[in-house]
Amino acid sequence: MQKLNIQPAVVVALLLALAFSLFVPRFASLGNAENLLRIAAILAIASSGQAIVLMTGGIDFSTGASVALVSVVTALLLQDMPPVWAVPLGASVAIAVGLINGVLVGRMRVTPLIATLGMSLVCGGYASHLAGGMPLDPAASEAFAWLGRGAVGGIPIPIVMAVGGFVLLHIVLTRTVFGRYWQLIGTNARAARMAGLPVSQALIAAYVFAGLLTGMAGAILTSRVGSGQPQLFPSLPFEAIAACAVGGISLAGGRASALQVYAGVFIIAMLNNVVVLLNLPPAVQQITIACVIVGSVTLQLPSVRTHLGRVSNRRTTGKVGTAP
Amino acid sequence: MNTPTFMRASLGNPLFVIAPVCLLLAVVLFSALQREFATTANLGNITGQVSLLLLLSAGQMVVMVNRGFDISVGAVAALSSTVAALAVNQFGTAGLAMGVLAGATLGLLNGVLVAYLGVQPIIATLGSLLAARALARLISDDGQAIVVQGNSVLSALSESSWIGAPPLFWLSAGSLVGLGLVLYRTAMGRRLFMCGSNPHAAALIGVSVARSTCLAYLLCGTMAGLGGIALLSRSGAGLPTEGAGLELQSIAAALIGGTALAGGSGSLIATAAGAFFIQTIMTGLNLIGVAPFIAQILFGMLIIGSGFLEKLTHRFFNHHQGLQ
Repeated sequence: MQKLNIQPAVVVALLLALAFSLFVPRFASLGNAENLLRIAAILAIASSGQAIVLMTGGIDFSTGASVALVSVVTALLLQDMPPVWAVPLGASVAIAVGLINGVLVGRMRVTPLIATLGMSLVCGGYASHLAGGMPLDPAASEAFAWLGRGAVGGIPIPIVMAVGGFVLLHIVLTRTVFGRYWQLIGTNARAARMAGLPVSQALIAAYVFAGLLTGMAGAILTSRVGSGQPQLFPSLPFEAIAACAVGGISLAGGRASALQVYAGVFIIAMLNNVVVLLNLPPAVQQITIACVIVGSVTLQLPSVRTHLGRVSNRRTTGKVGTAP
Repeated sequence: MNTPTFMRASLGNPLFVIAPVCLLLAVVLFSALQREFATTANLGNITGQVSLLLLLSAGQMVVMVNRGFDISVGAVAALSSTVAALAVNQFGTAGLAMGVLAGATLGLLNGVLVAYLGVQPIIATLGSLLAARALARLISDDGQAIVVQGNSVLSALSESSWIGAPPLFWLSAGSLVGLGLVLYRTAMGRRLFMCGSNPHAAALIGVSVARSTCLAYLLCGTMAGLGGIALLSRSGAGLPTEGAGLELQSIAAALIGGTALAGGSGSLIATAAGAFFIQTIMTGLNLIGVAPFIAQILFGMLIIGSGFLEKLTHRFFNHHQGLQ
C-alpha cells in the first residue's frame, strides 16, 4: 500500500461536496448531512466487502440475496430469542454464505461470477422460501430498532458502524498479511501460486471477510426497515461494485484502499441525495447516476492503466473483459 | 478455436454436449413425473415462453465469447418493448422495427464504452441498464404498461400455432439462424471468436479487437431488441419495468450451453439448448407443484454446478492454461 497517495476520487468527492454545498439549497444542513451519511453507511459497509473481493480479481453478486437472507433469518430468530442474540446470529448467515463462496472460488476454482451468481439465486430462493414470499414482521422492540435508528452520543449507530468498518478495512488491508496476499492474487494469481502463497486459503478468507461486512450491512438494514424482507436490496451488489469502481478500484483486481471505497460511496450517496433535493423526476435521477458512474470510471481509466503499467499495449490486452 | 465449420464448431467441445443432454434428461424426467408435461399444449406453451430467453441468451453468448458479459439485456428488452408498443400504436406493425433499433442503439453504446473507451463490461452495461430503465420510464408515463390497440399481426404472432409452436418461436429461431450465419459463416464472425480466444494474437495479425468487441455488444443489443418484440407480442403491451432477472437467466443459459467465460468458445446450438433447459425446468417444476422458490434454489445450484463442470473439464482437457 502506498501511503500519502492522493486518490483522484477523494479530490472529486471533496470538490462535489463543496459545489453541492454552494449551489444546492438545503444540501449543507446538519439534518441533510445526517440523513445522507445514514444511508451511505450501509452501502459503505457492503462496498468494503465487495472491494476485498474485487481486489482478489473476483466479483460478488450474492450480497443482495445475502442481506435479504440475513433479514429473513433475523426476523425468524426474533420470534424465539431477544435481539441481542438474534441480530448477530442472523448476521452470521452472511458469513456462512461468504464461506461457501470462498470454498467454491478458492478451493473448487469456480469462476467468481458463476459461483456468486449461483449463490445469489440459492440465497434469494431460500430467503423467499423461509419467509413464504411475504415480508416477516417481528414484534417491534427498541432493542431491535437500536442498530438502525439509535445513536451513541448523538451520532447515529449506522455511521458509527461505518467508521468502524473503515478502520477495520484499512487495518486489514495495510497491516495484515491478508491485504498483501489479496493484492498479489488480484494482480497475478499464477505468480501468487508459484510463489507458494496459500492462495486457496487467502481467497476463502477474502470471501468470509466480505461476508462479515455484508452481514453487518444486512443487520443494520434489517433493523432500519424493522422486518424480514426476501426482496430487501436486490441491487446492492451492483451499487457496491459501482461505488468501488467510482472510487478508482480496478475491477480487474489488484490494489484497493479503504479511502477509495469510502470516496466512491460518498460520491454516489451525494448524487443520490442531490437529485432528490433538486426534485428531479425519478427517470432523470437514474440517468444522471448512470452517466456519473460510467463517466467517472471512464475518466479514471488512464490513471488505472498507468498503475498497471499497461499503457503501451492497451489497444490489445486492455480491451478485454473483466472475466478473471 | 481451430474448428472452422459450423458443425464442428457446435459439437467439437465436450462442454457443448452438456446442455442438450441435460435438456433430454429433463424432458424425460418431467414426462415421467407428470402426464400433462408431454402434451402438445405444453409444448406450445414452452416454445412460446422460451422465445424471449432464447434471443437474450444468444446475444449474451456472443458477448461472452468476446470475454465480456452484458447485464443490461433484460432492461434493454423492456425498453425495446415499450418503444415498439408506442411506435406500433403510431405507425402500425412497421413500428416494431423501432423497438429493435432501440435495442441495437443501446448495444452500440455498450460496445463503444467497452471497446473504444475501455470501460469494464460490468460498469458499462450497468450504466446501460440504468439508462434503459430510466428511458423506458420517461417515455411511458412513469412505468405504466403501454397497451397496443388492435394489432392483429402482433397477437397472431404468439397466439396462433404453426407446426406445433407459435410463429413467434419460429421467428426467434430464424433470428438465431441469422446470428449463426454471421458468427460461423462470415469473416467478421470468425474474428469475433479469434479476439475472444486470444486478443493479443488477433491484434498482432492485424485484426481490430476493438471493432470486434463493439460488434459483439451491437449484436447482443440487437438480440435484446428482438427479445423486446417477443415480450410485446406475448403480453400485448409494452412493459417498461419488466425483465429483471433475465440477465442472470441469459448468462446461465449461455454457461450451461458451455460458453466459456474466459472467451473464445461458444456454441449457439448448445446455448439454445441451455435456454430450453432452463425454461423446461421452470415449467416442469411448476407443473409437478414445486414452489417457485425451491425451483430458484435448484437453478442456482445448477449454475454453480455448470461452473464447477467448466473448471473440471478445462483442467481435464487442459484448455486455457493461462487462467487462474
